[in-house]
Amino acid sequence: MALSLTVNGERRSLDIEGDTPLLWVLRDELGLKGTKFGCGVGLCGACTVHLNGQPVRSCSTPVESAAGGEVTTIEGLAEDGQLHPLQKAWIAEGVPQCGYCQSGQIMSAAHLLATNPAPARDDIVAAMTGNLCRCGTYSRIIAAVESVAGKSLAYDAQAAGEER
Amino acid sequence: MAMNRRDFLKVSAGASGSLMLSLSLPGCSGIPTGYTEETGEWKPDAWLEITRNDKIHFTLARVEMGQGTYTGLTTLIAEELEVDPEAITPRFAPVAPEYRNPLYKLQLTGGSTSIATSWEPLRTAGASARQMLIMAAADVWQVDAAECSARQGRVVHPNGLDSMRYGQLVELASKQVIRGDIPLKPAREWKYIGKQRGRLDAHAKSTGTAVYGIDVELPGMVYSVVSRPPRYGARVKSFNKSEVLAMPGVLDVFEIERGVAIVADKYWRARKAQDALKAEWDNAEALSLSTGEVFASYRKAADEDRGESERSEGDYENAVEKAGQVFEAEYSQPYLAHSTLEPMNATAWYRDNSIEVWAPTQAPDLGRIAAARVTDLSPGDVTINTTFLGGGFGRRLTQDYIEEAAAVSYRVRKPVKLIWSREEDTQHDLYRPAMLHRMQAGLEGNRLTGWHHQIVGPQLLDWYVRNAAPAQYPWAPKFMYDTLGKVGLLAEGIATPKDMSAIEGAIEYPYNVDNIDIRHTHTDPGVPVTFWRSVGYSHNGFAVETFMDELAYEAGEDPYQFRRKLLAGQPRHLEVLDRAVQLSKWNTPVLEGRGRGLALFKSFGTFVAQVVEAGVENGNIRVYKVACAVDCGQVVNPRIVEDQIEGGIIFGLTAAIYGEITFDEGQPQQSNFHDYQLMRQTELPEVTVDIVQSTEAPTGVGEPGVPPVIPALGNALFALTGKRQRSLPLKADA
Repeated sequence: MALSLTVNGERRSLDIEGDTPLLWVLRDELGLKGTKFGCGVGLCGACTVHLNGQPVRSCSTPVESAAGGEVTTIEGLAEDGQLHPLQKAWIAEGVPQCGYCQSGQIMSAAHLLATNPAPARDDIVAAMTGNLCRCGTYSRIIAAVESVAGKSLAYDAQAAGEER
Repeated sequence: MAMNRRDFLKVSAGASGSLMLSLSLPGCSGIPTGYTEETGEWKPDAWLEITRNDKIHFTLARVEMGQGTYTGLTTLIAEELEVDPEAITPRFAPVAPEYRNPLYKLQLTGGSTSIATSWEPLRTAGASARQMLIMAAADVWQVDAAECSARQGRVVHPNGLDSMRYGQLVELASKQVIRGDIPLKPAREWKYIGKQRGRLDAHAKSTGTAVYGIDVELPGMVYSVVSRPPRYGARVKSFNKSEVLAMPGVLDVFEIERGVAIVADKYWRARKAQDALKAEWDNAEALSLSTGEVFASYRKAADEDRGESERSEGDYENAVEKAGQVFEAEYSQPYLAHSTLEPMNATAWYRDNSIEVWAPTQAPDLGRIAAARVTDLSPGDVTINTTFLGGGFGRRLTQDYIEEAAAVSYRVRKPVKLIWSREEDTQHDLYRPAMLHRMQAGLEGNRLTGWHHQIVGPQLLDWYVRNAAPAQYPWAPKFMYDTLGKVGLLAEGIATPKDMSAIEGAIEYPYNVDNIDIRHTHTDPGVPVTFWRSVGYSHNGFAVETFMDELAYEAGEDPYQFRRKLLAGQPRHLEVLDRAVQLSKWNTPVLEGRGRGLALFKSFGTFVAQVVEAGVENGNIRVYKVACAVDCGQVVNPRIVEDQIEGGIIFGLTAAIYGEITFDEGQPQQSNFHDYQLMRQTELPEVTVDIVQSTEAPTGVGEPGVPPVIPALGNALFALTGKRQRSLPLKADA
């Protein structure tokens, strides 16, 4: 079927079977390999992307259900050439080990901060518990999110002020 | 192959100015080194390349699967080259003899050996290149090289003011010949080794740009999935080829050694076509047992055969006879899957009498053998490109997924990406073997007088030599592969190393007991097995350190003091034990509903002690705290050490609480993360890691965090409930 999606701000038209999971459309049709395949049934979170501002498991989201929607992937998180504050925190904290789950982790954390800019530790744990990490980077993930929590807005305001 | 610096330098000096620094094996072609006029690249050795534009590349011969080689090994070479590690671009090594792991004589990453085996060679390589650059600059300036120094990618003139970039010097440096010893920097001058630093791969892994095997993209690439028989060892009998071929996008359907391969233009179409496949399997030689029979067969084997003696001291039989009390216990552990988050996958492209493979593999030279085996090619015609690995944990030492991708591309003559589903990854894994342990000890009063440990189960090399043996003998024709494997096993200890996989950690029993008897009853029920993070230590740690805990209680002693008394003359064991106990506030009361347990275990040369504080909440085991002390010798990157140990703890706790693959009539019963669970963020305990400052040679940290945490948790639950659990996984309601 023919359908279109807005992916990382860009409108993309596709001709594809409607039951194809969004994950494989992103990876193989649109060449966005940052989103990962882990389990295929929404159990591990490695494939997490944002669809219309909500985190979804793209491995079990048929592309037809996303038709016309706005999708953000790890590749679309940076703005104006600046990494998302969470990505900077991930690097500063040295979160990734094998790194395979981290795109999904960051997308889950980004949604948390978008809806709750100053989450408490319990909020972070609750929001991140759907994302599995086999290497066990969980404590660094919390530290990285905490380092941004409650500060991102202030940073943005400050950065905006400097630009003016 | 133990390599000291002098041998190493003999090789480099003997090469009469060819600047070949790495060890060359006779008859093996080397990596070309030297200066190339057209490109302006200087390769002083197999690892480094410096261009006249000051680009520095480092060939990373140990794969990056999360354990930190990308950062750690780059740090070693950067330290001596006098450049910031950030200024170096690592790239993954091709298959070549120079890049073999000297301990295994194979190009593989495993056994927590990367830092230990690279510590001298890589620093020497960096120091040699630096020395040649300094000599080149000294020639230009007509000054004494000893008066010059190197700093941040430049050679500095004795006047301290003038300097030249490395890039300006590469051509001249390539003509220098080093005679005599190459001094390495003393520890007090280190700028990067031992310092708290981040990871060089963190940026790529936080932006989705790191390329894993599953991300490889080739022009005209097609996708493949394989339906494998539900029971290991079964063969294809028949399948509905025409119906599957008629499915949208399907290009081919055919039998390969391991099942039925479906090739389609898109991955999802291959998967959907797989749903339409109806295959009949010939189960004549298939695995048919159930889990209960595995342990029954182990007990029978243990009764009939006391096993080969692996360590014997004093007179155990006599000690037991004399002892006032004899204690016995039997421990067992289940099969475990690896569950790397990146499922098995490989991309292969057969064309022009060669095949190129892109894969997340821990052993690229074994991948070559695997690809050659299923095509008409010899290993020399196979190129392996290694990618980042989305986890390894030993699973990617076996090359079955490369074998499949190569077989499919050989048939369709196109670039093929083959991806396993999570269910396939779980059910067609090669598992950490189920094991049985029979323990016995003699106590006279509160004194431990005898220790007996009978380990019952398979050896891993039996499952491994198929590809490993031919890789060690690259000249051997393909028809000899199976023979080589068998000969390797027969000549264990001569042609192949003695297989320690079942007994490691048990035979290094560290406690001062006069009479020791450690045996292995070798029995293999036919379930495919392989290396799993911490290998034999993973099961022996549980048996040894749980039984020690039982004996402490029998002797009426504190488990810490009981162990401590038996460790005279073992300062590194004692140090980590004391530190972990102190860190955990062992002597203070625990909160209501919690228990504390202790374990101490050395593995891969690294000493680790852990105290776990745990309880039961809402019918589930809950781990609150883990206090850990580790001595891994000289630390290269403290943050990575901490991360590896903490990651190992979570890996071990996952196994202790959830890990179990069971078989029913030859079929694994678990399939995905709902029934083979991994520990989640909500279950994360508070982990504290205390690293001993040491100047001893560095040892590994990828695996040693795993073994002690399993018995430490069991011991904590015993302290809480008074009920001893002797089989894994541990239960909340035991």
